[in-house]
Amino acid sequence: MTSHLDASRFTQDQQFEADIVIIGSGAGGGIAAEQFAQAGLKVLLLEEGAYYTRDDFVMEERWAYPNLYQEGAARKTRDQAIGILQGRTVGGSTTVNWTTSIRTPQPTLDYWQSEFGLKFTGVNELTPYFEKAEQRLNIKPWPVAPNANNSVVQHGCEALGWQYTVISRNVNGCANLGYCGMGCPINGKQSMLVSTIPAALALGATLISRLSVRKFSWQGDSITGLDAVAVDQHFQPRSDIKVSIKAKHYILAAGAIGSPAILLRSEVPNPSGRLGKHTYLHPSLISGALFAEDINGHAGAPQSIYSDQFVWPDSDHIGYKLEAAPVHPVLMATKLLGTGEQHAALMQQFNQLQVTIALMRDGFHPQSQGGSVLLDNQQQPVLDYPITDYLWQGARRALMSMAEMQFAAGAKQVLPIHHDARLYNSWHEARAAIERLPMQKYRQTVASAHVMGGCNMSANPAKGVVNQQGRHHQLQNLSIFDGSILPTSLGANPQLTIYGMTWLNCQRLLAELAKV
Amino acid sequence: MDRRHFVLSGIALAAAASIGATLGIYGWRQSLSADDNNRELVLSAVLPALLYGALPEDATLAAAELARTKAAVNDFLLFLPLRQQQELHQLFNLLANRFSRLGMTGHLTQLADLSIQQRLALLDSWRDSYLEVLQQAYHGLRELLYGAYYGQPEHWQALAYTAPRFR
Repeated sequence: MTSHLDASRFTQDQQFEADIVIIGSGAGGGIAAEQFAQAGLKVLLLEEGAYYTRDDFVMEERWAYPNLYQEGAARKTRDQAIGILQGRTVGGSTTVNWTTSIRTPQPTLDYWQSEFGLKFTGVNELTPYFEKAEQRLNIKPWPVAPNANNSVVQHGCEALGWQYTVISRNVNGCANLGYCGMGCPINGKQSMLVSTIPAALALGATLISRLSVRKFSWQGDSITGLDAVAVDQHFQPRSDIKVSIKAKHYILAAGAIGSPAILLRSEVPNPSGRLGKHTYLHPSLISGALFAEDINGHAGAPQSIYSDQFVWPDSDHIGYKLEAAPVHPVLMATKLLGTGEQHAALMQQFNQLQVTIALMRDGFHPQSQGGSVLLDNQQQPVLDYPITDYLWQGARRALMSMAEMQFAAGAKQVLPIHHDARLYNSWHEARAAIERLPMQKYRQTVASAHVMGGCNMSANPAKGVVNQQGRHHQLQNLSIFDGSILPTSLGANPQLTIYGMTWLNCQRLLAELAKV
Repeated sequence: MDRRHFVLSGIALAAAASIGATLGIYGWRQSLSADDNNRELVLSAVLPALLYGALPEDATLAAAELARTKAAVNDFLLFLPLRQQQELHQLFNLLANRFSRLGMTGHLTQLADLSIQQRLALLDSWRDSYLEVLQQAYHGLRELLYGAYYGQPEHWQALAYTAPRFR
């Protein structure tokens, strides 16, 4: 039985039929594939990326970024002011993420209830589904001591009396290598690639990789089919091989840039005007710190400690979460400042470099309404995300907090990743300098690893694309199960939210389909 | 979408303003597709400056590292969206073009005839330019070229870093 097909090997056009077709194999699509396969439905799982597995994962960025990430890990917002790390491979971003697993913060759910009429109580209670996902993916607080990179976050917080938490990770037999971002070479990470997808395939689901879904056909209130094309060896859509697929129910799980793009290309009904709008990024600031001793930020679990000291401020200011980020040659070389000798000198201190990031919780303020997914001339998505003054003010405060924490943990020097900054020798010096840094795009480096929104859920069809169950407000046989349905960012790394919410929504959908 | 077809046309227009619209527009229309010679010329000029302090002093070793980096750039470009590939082709073509070079660099000399310090000063001037398109060129080239150089295990000696191997 062939349960995996590589569309790039098709030699002629193809047609498929299924009960359920799932577009995208990341956190949403992966969970859904197993749920529907377990229910005995004929499932077709489509993925634009390739089906790479542990033997392919060579722990080198030069292979991982072009082969496992969207746009070679060089995806940028429209004006190129924000870099976006997003997976594009079987397992989606779960194959390359840093394993941090956090339930949806209660204040975020409360905000959604007040703003979007979403109630996560009774049959929509998420807690049992978080528990199921945690059990399925072995999500537990990391029992091993944090690596030196994460210890800095812990020690800085301890010295300052700031809140911090040991991170729960979806790993089983983790060897503490530190290369999660390049694909786990020992199947320790319980990504969709090694858990739900193989389980779904064993239950009879079919996976088609290297297939780019271009558009839906629809009529009235129903999707009638979808058109897809094979991609070439560089993951560019080809025009020679076409694939058409029909299903009873369509599940879109192509991520918060990919899912809106497919719907925009399909020109589906959009009475709320919110399709592809209100896309959130957790725009993130970076602060480097040099220590006397080796940090070796490339070794060990990449994230094991976070601080929520500033995520939910009492004031109107934007909140931000503090985490460590792993230190690998390409990741660092592209983010460190300067050129020529200045850059080379920083790179030579690679092993003494600690990296902290601050993820801003966007989407909770009138001046933080996110970005918009647009289509370029090739009909490929590009995210326009203007950075408002409100966000820039948060960025400055975040740089301050990170520098203060790094010095409190014993840093010799701190380097805010801003093109007008330099190495500062004390918290006093850093604070004075950060106060004066011009907060402008390009000068201030901003990055993102979490894309959310663009097909937001809302009880009221006038204020969203899908309902609380992820079902499209206008197209009855379309559900969206991925980060695109989130009405704001989360203030937490998103994978566990998507796992739990998708699991719940799969059960609700199965119950509704059984009634038909 | 309502997007500028040619993101770098700002450069061509700057060039046009300085040398006459006809030539500028001519250069701009020429510049969307890949030209291996232009890319090679620009990389050969920019890489030794960007990597000054990182490249080995031994000329043979340095040449090998530069060749490896250029090959990595060429391999990587194909994974970018066509939109971005076109923008980079346009940048390479404009930088290699005698007329637009005047608009971008203030020099009519070949990039390769500038000293390393002049090339670094040129890159810095893009970073600090009021033209958004030059700032994008600075950051785009920097990321592309540093990523290509530091992606190669042969270039990690100065970092005292080796990736773990267990199979």
